[in-house]
Order: sequence, then structure tokens, then C-alpha cells
Amino acid sequence: MHHLLPLLVAVPLLGAALPAAAGRRLPRAAVEITGFVVSGGTGALALLLLLNSTPPMTEWVGGWLPVGGQSVGIVVLGDGPALGMATLASLLTLAALAYSWRYFDAPPHGHTGAFTALMLLFQGAMCGFALAGDLFNAFVFFELMSVVAYALTGYRIDEARAVQGALTFGVVNSLGAYAMLMGIALLYARTGELGMSAIGRGLDAHGGPDALVLASFVLVMTGLLVKAATVPFHFWLPDAHAVAPTPVCMLLSGVMVELGVYGAWRVYGTVFAGPGGIPAADLTRALVTLGILTAAVGAVMCWYQRHIKRLLAYSTIAHTGLFLVGLGVLTPEGDDGIALYVVGHAAVKAALFACAGVLLDRFGSVDEHALHGRARSLRATGVMFAIGALGLAGLPPFGTGLGKSVAEEAAGGPLTVGYVLVSAITAGAVLRVTARVFLGLGPRPEDAEYETSGSGEEPETGGLLRRVPDTMTTVPAVLLAAALAVGVAPGFGDLVARSVNEAGSGGAHASAHWTAPGVLLGLAATALAVILAALAVTRPTWLAAPSWAAPLRRLQSGHVGDYVAWLLVGTTLLGALALPGVLGG
Amino acid sequence: MNRLRLWLLAVGGTGLAALLVAACLDLPRFGGRSHPYGDRAVHASLRRHIANTIASVNFDQRAYDTLGEMSILFAAVLGCVVLLRQTRDEHRAPPEPAEVARPVRRYALLVLPVALVTGLYVIAHGQLSPGGGFQGGVVAATALHLLYLGADYGALERVRPLGVYETTDALAVSSYVVLGLAGLLAGTAFLANTLLPYGTFNTLSSGGTVPLLNAAVGMEVAGAATVLLAHFLDQAVEIEDATEEEPGK
Repeated sequence: MHHLLPLLVAVPLLGAALPAAAGRRLPRAAVEITGFVVSGGTGALALLLLLNSTPPMTEWVGGWLPVGGQSVGIVVLGDGPALGMATLASLLTLAALAYSWRYFDAPPHGHTGAFTALMLLFQGAMCGFALAGDLFNAFVFFELMSVVAYALTGYRIDEARAVQGALTFGVVNSLGAYAMLMGIALLYARTGELGMSAIGRGLDAHGGPDALVLASFVLVMTGLLVKAATVPFHFWLPDAHAVAPTPVCMLLSGVMVELGVYGAWRVYGTVFAGPGGIPAADLTRALVTLGILTAAVGAVMCWYQRHIKRLLAYSTIAHTGLFLVGLGVLTPEGDDGIALYVVGHAAVKAALFACAGVLLDRFGSVDEHALHGRARSLRATGVMFAIGALGLAGLPPFGTGLGKSVAEEAAGGPLTVGYVLVSAITAGAVLRVTARVFLGLGPRPEDAEYETSGSGEEPETGGLLRRVPDTMTTVPAVLLAAALAVGVAPGFGDLVARSVNEAGSGGAHASAHWTAPGVLLGLAATALAVILAALAVTRPTWLAAPSWAAPLRRLQSGHVGDYVAWLLVGTTLLGALALPGVLGG
Repeated sequence: MNRLRLWLLAVGGTGLAALLVAACLDLPRFGGRSHPYGDRAVHASLRRHIANTIASVNFDQRAYDTLGEMSILFAAVLGCVVLLRQTRDEHRAPPEPAEVARPVRRYALLVLPVALVTGLYVIAHGQLSPGGGFQGGVVAATALHLLYLGADYGALERVRPLGVYETTDALAVSSYVVLGLAGLLAGTAFLANTLLPYGTFNTLSSGGTVPLLNAAVGMEVAGAATVLLAHFLDQAVEIEDATEEEPGK
């Protein structure tokens, strides 16, 4: 069985290369069907392997089995979290391809299959990154994932904003990748190994942490946290997500950003968790601090957006912050909760983006103010948007709610309040959009002076749609049903918990199921979200942007230089947060 | 905003520099004798009769990384095709034939075949001597572009049917994956170098699947570099903004 693990990378790559080879002659339908078959087949294989991942599998590519504990080859991991992320990425790619069925008006001339091929490459890259047990191999797939994502983000080259967003995305993420590569070089210099667990053993054999360990930790984490859009590395994300084609946004927000978080979890647990790595207290300080900062900035910025795709992008940032906090507390329960939360969030967020895409293609706008009351006729989409908002708030029995309640219990104390507030604010913002756009409630908001409005966008389909195609309503409906199933399916939580704890958490086992406080907190967050949305719609002036939010918004300047400067500051901040343990050790 | 950016840059840059300097002081001393990975890689390479250890690392020991790397190039080409496509408000104008100074023309046409053969040689001897698919592919692809220097863009376009190069690029990636799958089907592992005999050390056919994977990468890189350059040159030479005035009017 373990020999099949590299197929999760090989099959999508082959599926991308073959249509590209025949691209000039193949009709569009044939290319799109190939896309479905390949991404769906890979998803099915990932699911099959996932069901067989107890006990966890490993595979040495090329048959370079270790001799005397040492190997020159590359190890691929087949444990629950790795295969879970690969399955999630594959199924979401399938959903995005189904959503974009006959979507773009004019594929590049002579390259009918370009979009499908890029999506399949993206899928292969995400699977490869999820399965990587070798740090350099993880970097290779990290780069592949990035390169494909830049091209997909800038796909609509007729719009200057799309090209600008893709460029910002490219510069910031490439710098993150260089940082990661430098960190890998330092680790290699110390240990002479590239496999993650081999590096971990090498560091432990060398003794306590020193400046080199700290620097390599900071550099590798910088790369991963840039991908995870952690404050202050997050600036690229809203600019890219606002302009990327909707099916691409579903993947970027639903799973690529979360893969950054997953990478941080994997690298810390395998490389730096030993006595020669970074002490647990320092990791907790670093991740929880950055997580709180990320969640707070994401939530505040999310609330004050009127560009619906930007609003959803900031809600992704806010939730990433919550993920980091949950993983940062370093308990098995926290890991389990976040794993469930990530799965639920992926489905909900992809569904919300799919609904936003319907607005864009139907009205040529994603501006909450300009669309006031105009989408009353889109009842199905409106209902799904509202359900998605409730899922974002963590209303039981959504999978997001289950994951959040488990993570809240693990984090405990004041962090619980953070979870409730952040999910309530982001969900409240989405509910506010629902009330205004789909129901036409409240007075029409007045325009502020300087804002990214989201009006005057080009639809992604060939002209404005007169009726919404079935695929564009079915896909979000299926995704929302999946989010619900994650929380409802009996035993699913425990299954996820068991497979996550088998792979990490130091062998400790925890269970993940609904508890009374968790349900109450989920209901509280939902109630708060409804109240916030109701207030915002009926009394717009009460919750208008206060003066202290203005500088925060100005930081998102769109200037790449600013973002690069913030990236350097973030690296320094990460180093400062992890420094005490290294000095003490 | 400008001042803030400079302050941030100063703080962040200083912090990062301090971190890197401190880390470098902890690096192993220069010229040490302990090379755990290097020793193992050379042994593994010799066991499989591959004279160039780098090729053994690239196409045998870590062939899976190379699959990722060639996919990055493939994705970059596909991305360029998408991003540099002709937009609705652009049109194509065939470039005027250009005057080339006679010594330049003679030199370019003389060097072209030499460069092309050098590229192919570097690809073919990848497992024996420094070089290989990546390096040779770039040399071979750029050799063609001497035509652009020596003659003009039209001449280059005539020897460069883009469709063929794009297909080559994609087929090369496919064949690399298929070679990997063959190892899996034979019951060993993905990208396992156990299908073919290892041959005599230091000959063209030594190293099992290494020469084949190396050739696939050479094909891919040659195709990819040609297509990449073509799209950038098209933007620079042929595609014009519709709003721009025609030259000379």
C-alpha cells in the first residue's frame, strides 16, 4: 500500500502534462473531463490510503530504504494528517473544477487546457507538500505550489489589479521561500541530513539549542507562516484573493493557506520538538502571540470591508490566527480540534467564495454597498451564503463548531473568549452582507471617501450571466453539506483525533466530541454574530469604522516594498519571541 | 508611509542580519572532514556505476525532487503562456527584417551549430561529466536564439515551430513520470532505478535509468526555455498595444 503514496503527486502531474501535450487539438470538453477524472481519481486514491493509514505508512521513493538508520533517499509520509490534507486538497480541487465547468470565456489561444492543467499541477503540488517527510522535498513542492498559484492568481490579465495582486503574491511568497531555503541550508550544515526526523535526531545529538538552531527555526517558520498569511506576513493575501478567479480563491483560502499552518505543525513536531530544538514554552509564546495578533487584525479588517472577496480573505486570515493559537498550545486536544476546524473551515470558506463568485458573474460587482438589495432573486445563493456565515460562526453541529469547541477547551481561559469573538465578528460580517445584498435590509449605506469598493469588476464568465448555472449552486451546496457532515457524522471526530495523535502529539491520545460548554459557546458566537449583523444593518453609524482602525487599513497599502519591510520585521519578531529559551538553554 | 517603511526595513533588516551572523558563527568550520551526506551519496553513486555523483543525486537518489523541480519549470512555462497571452486590446505586427552587421551575422551562424552540439553533448554525458539535462537543455535552447542575433526574428520563428516545443516540453514531463511509474509497476518503488542493468562504469549507457531521466529533463528544459524566451520575445517584438501609434506616423 505504501508504494502508492507518490502516486498522489505523479497522477495529477501526468494529468496536467498529457492534455498540455495534446492541448492544440483536444476539444475543451475533453480537457475538462480529463481534469475531473484525474482530480477525482487522485482524491479517491488519497481517501483509500487515508482509510488504511493506521498504523502510519512511510515510503522511501526510489526504494532507498535506510541502511543502519541512514538513507540518501527521500521519505514520503502516509499518516493521518498528511493524507488528510492531501484528500482535502484533492476533493477541493475537484469541487473547484466542477464549479468552473465551462467558466472562462476565452482560454488562451491554442491552450485550451491551460487552466485545467494549472489546477491539476496545483493539486499535485499540494499533495506533494502534505506528504513530504523530507525538508528539502517539502521546499520543492512549496515552490511548485507557489509558482502555480501566482499564475492562477494573475489569470485575468486584462485587469491591472489581477496582475498587481499576483506580482505582490509572487514577491512576498518568493522571499518567504528563500528564507525557508536558507533555514534548510543551516540545518543541513549542522546535521548533514535533509529528512525531517533525521534532522531532528541530528539536532538532539548535537546538544542544546544555539543561535544556529534559532536562526534555522526562524527562517523555516518564516517561509511557512508567509504561506499561512500570519500577521505581519499576511499583506499579500487580501490583494491576491480579491483578484484571483473564484475557483482559485476556493483553493487558496480553503486549503493552501492551511497547508502553511500544517507545515509549521509538521516541521516543529518533527524537527524542532526534541531537546536540541526550540523549547516548547518558546514555541507556544511565538505561535500564540502571532496567532492572537493575526486573529485580531483579520477580524477587525474583515468587519470593515465592503469588497466581498476581500472580506472573505480577511476572515481566512482571522481563522488562520485561531488555528495557530490552537496548535501553539501544544496539546493533543488542540491538534485534534484544529484538524477538524481546518476541514470544516475549508468547506465553508470554499462555499462562501463560490457564492461570491455567483454575485460577481451575475452582477459584475462584489461591492456590498452597490449590490444593496439587488440579489433578492438569487434565493438559493442567499440561503447558502447565510448558512455559510453560520458555519463560520461555529454553530453546532457544523464541523467548524466541533473543531472550534475542542480547540477552545484545549486553549482554555482568555483564549476561549478570543475564539468566540473572532468567529462571531467574521461571521457577523458575512451575515451583514447577506442581509444587505440578498435581503435588501436596512438603509443603503453611504459611500466612504477612500475604499476598495469591488464595483466595476469584470465578470469571469463570458459576459454577465443571466441565470446561474446549476454547477455554481450545486458545488457550494455540496460543500456546506460536507461541513455539516464533519460535525454530525458519529465517530468522525474521534477518528480524526486518533489519526492526528498517532502522527504527532508524543503518543498521547485524546478524543474529540461535542461537549455541553462547546455547544453553548458555539451558540453564543452565533448569537453574537447575528446581533452584530443586525446592529450593523439597522444602525450603520454605531458600528462604523472608528478612527483607530484607519491606520490599520492604511498599512494594507498595496506597495510591495511595504510588505517586504513587514516581512523582515516579522522575521525579527519571530526571532525575538523564540529567543529566551535559546539564551536559557 | 515612506518613513515608516524605512524604519521597518531598518529594524527588520538589523534583526535578521544579527540572527544570520550569530548563526554563521555556529556553522561547522571550513574544511572539516565530516561530510556524512557526501560520503553516503558517493558510495551509493559508485554502487550504481554512475561516474558523476551529482547526476546520481539528481536522477537516482533524489529523483523525486527533480520531478518536482521539472514540474516547477513546466508550471512556470504554462504560467507564462497564460500571463503573456495576447489581450483583447493588443494586436500582432510582424517585425520588420533587421539589418545585421556582417561580422555579427557570420559569427552567429558559425557558432550556432557548435553551441547546439555542445548542448546536446552536455545532456548526453550528464551521468559521466559535469553538466546534465538542466544545463545542456539551456545551452541547446539558447543556441537556436543565435539566429535572432545573426539574422532576424522572422528567421528564428521559421526554425521554431512553438507547438512542437510545447509538446516536447509536456511529453518530456510525462515520460519522466512514466519512467517513475515503471519502477512502481515492476514492484519496487516509484522512480526506483532497478529496471535496467547498471552497465560499465564511465560509459554512456551506465547507470540504469539515470541517462533516460537525464534525457527527459534535457528535452524538457530545451523545450521550456525555447517557449519561455519565445513568449517574452513576442511581447517585446510582435505584440503591440492597440492604443499605441504606429511607428513613423
